[in-house]
Amino acid sequence: MPEINDNIESDAELLQRVGWSGSGPEERHQRKRNFWVAFAFMSPAILLVSSVLLVPVGYNIYLSFTKWKKFKGLDEFAGFGNYERLSTNPFFTDAFYNTSIWVGASVLFPLILGLGLAVLVRGMLFESLFKDIIFIPRILAPTAVGVLWFYVYAPDGVVNRFLGLIAGREVDIGWLYQDNTVTPAIIVTFVWQTVGLVMVLILLGLNAIPKDPIEAAHMDGASRLQVFWYITLPLLLPTLLVVTILSVLAGFTVFDLLWVMGASYPGQRTLSLAVFQYFEAFQKGSWAFGSAIAVVLGIVVLTVTWTQAILQARVDRMIR
Amino acid sequence: MSNIEYHLDLEAIARREKKAHRGNWLAMAGTILISAIWIVPFYYLATSIFKTTEEYSLNHPLSLPSSVTPVMENAVTAWSNAKMGTGMMNSALYGFTGAALAVFIAALAAFGLSRIDFRGKNYWFMLIFAGTIFPLQMYLIPLFFLYQKFGILNTQFGMILFYTAICIPFPVLVLRNYMNGMSRDMDEAARMDGASEFTVFHKIVLPNCWGPMTATFLLQFTWIWNDLLFSTVLANRTEVRSIMNALQVFQGSYSSVGPNVVLTAAVIASVPSILLYFILRKHFMEGMRVSGA
Repeated sequence: MPEINDNIESDAELLQRVGWSGSGPEERHQRKRNFWVAFAFMSPAILLVSSVLLVPVGYNIYLSFTKWKKFKGLDEFAGFGNYERLSTNPFFTDAFYNTSIWVGASVLFPLILGLGLAVLVRGMLFESLFKDIIFIPRILAPTAVGVLWFYVYAPDGVVNRFLGLIAGREVDIGWLYQDNTVTPAIIVTFVWQTVGLVMVLILLGLNAIPKDPIEAAHMDGASRLQVFWYITLPLLLPTLLVVTILSVLAGFTVFDLLWVMGASYPGQRTLSLAVFQYFEAFQKGSWAFGSAIAVVLGIVVLTVTWTQAILQARVDRMIR
Repeated sequence: MSNIEYHLDLEAIARREKKAHRGNWLAMAGTILISAIWIVPFYYLATSIFKTTEEYSLNHPLSLPSSVTPVMENAVTAWSNAKMGTGMMNSALYGFTGAALAVFIAALAAFGLSRIDFRGKNYWFMLIFAGTIFPLQMYLIPLFFLYQKFGILNTQFGMILFYTAICIPFPVLVLRNYMNGMSRDMDEAARMDGASEFTVFHKIVLPNCWGPMTATFLLQFTWIWNDLLFSTVLANRTEVRSIMNALQVFQGSYSSVGPNVVLTAAVIASVPSILLYFILRKHFMEGMRVSGA
């Protein structure tokens, strides 16, 4: 009866099943064959990611070292010329300053408000209703949000009417037309849109915290504030780290809201690095210069991500 | 354990509970206040789209509309002036094709990375994952040039190509982790019976991955639907323009129509992503969880 033999594993198969990693010629041969099978599965992803994403990144870095000649194309090597121009360009200084403000604001406000809301809403009556209300702006496209708030900030819009109600007289501040109001106004819109995600992520983090240490602390007579400060917050650190990094990256690359809401603002306050890059490349045609701005953004973003990886590892070790 | 004495001050606990209870009412009031502030822009949006341009400009922005019928006219004006039909069709095409292709290709790669044993897995994973670590700005200029060179600037094919590629790395991360956690018994049994690796993939592994695949599909679809930057740069002709691009252009030319019409356009452009969210909320939250964790 030859069929019976089919059901009995050979030694080699048994070893493979239990994860024996041999290094004999047969296993090496198997590994090699396995690699090609796996490569066949990975090849569409590798092909697309490298040709559409990674090669362009390399090309961008190359472009940033070239000089663009009108009607002639580029390819003239310029060394660090574009980067030198960056350091002396007053708009770049503006863009860098504005972006720093955006990074600070987009970390600070959503984090504080999101943490506060998460703690407030958690376990409350109608929790899911409140969560939905705060979260829904997040589903909308930044473009749609920008369009909506563009009119909310209109001189005879909702914000001015509300302030008028408090002040008792007519208020007609051009929120999106003045240097000193345009950034705070758009940051409020940004917070309105993003705090929902921050809140949901923090709630997920809070729900993952084991209940035992908190109950034990309560038993020992710790106040709610003490429990929050000494137990909940440290255990929430990994989540807060993720949220902070997401916010930093969002702040550095902010574009859509500034582009849509700053459309009729004449000054430089809405010039973030991303908007600056778009202007230089696609409106002024300074391709090489625009590439250099993108590289600067890339260096900053990679540094942030790198820092996160290191911090993450450290926090994980601390918690354990 | 048993020799630890617990001193339970029952009265103190009761006092604290009472205090916590009172705190709940304060917390409730605070939450209601914040929720109310959060709703105001939505209320403004919901009432404005029911007003005629004349009614909008004469009344308080938060006043109730006198009738609901003007919304039809607003929608028709927005639809034709902003060429929203084309935009919606394009975005639907980009969103569905791009996200579906990306998730399928990512599932293939994740299978190779998690269910087949070979050396150097991490390097291949990192190569694919490198597609998400750069800021989007680094792709804009080179892609514009390369697309121009290969004649796919301002084409639907070019847009689908980019959206598919950019949406691959994240699902690879999620699906690889998920597949790593799945039991291997069935794979091995099927392999023993002479099944090819592709059969193992689509008969055994794929049917067990619908949950995370749906979650990542939704996140990627919404990303593509909401994207403004790449449509502006790579597809700025009316016929291939995405819906968000059409909306932004329409708002820029708002002098020709009233804010009520532009706001109606914003609502129409947002309907698909809002509907998807409410229908598949569970999967969305799952997606949030995997992307946050």
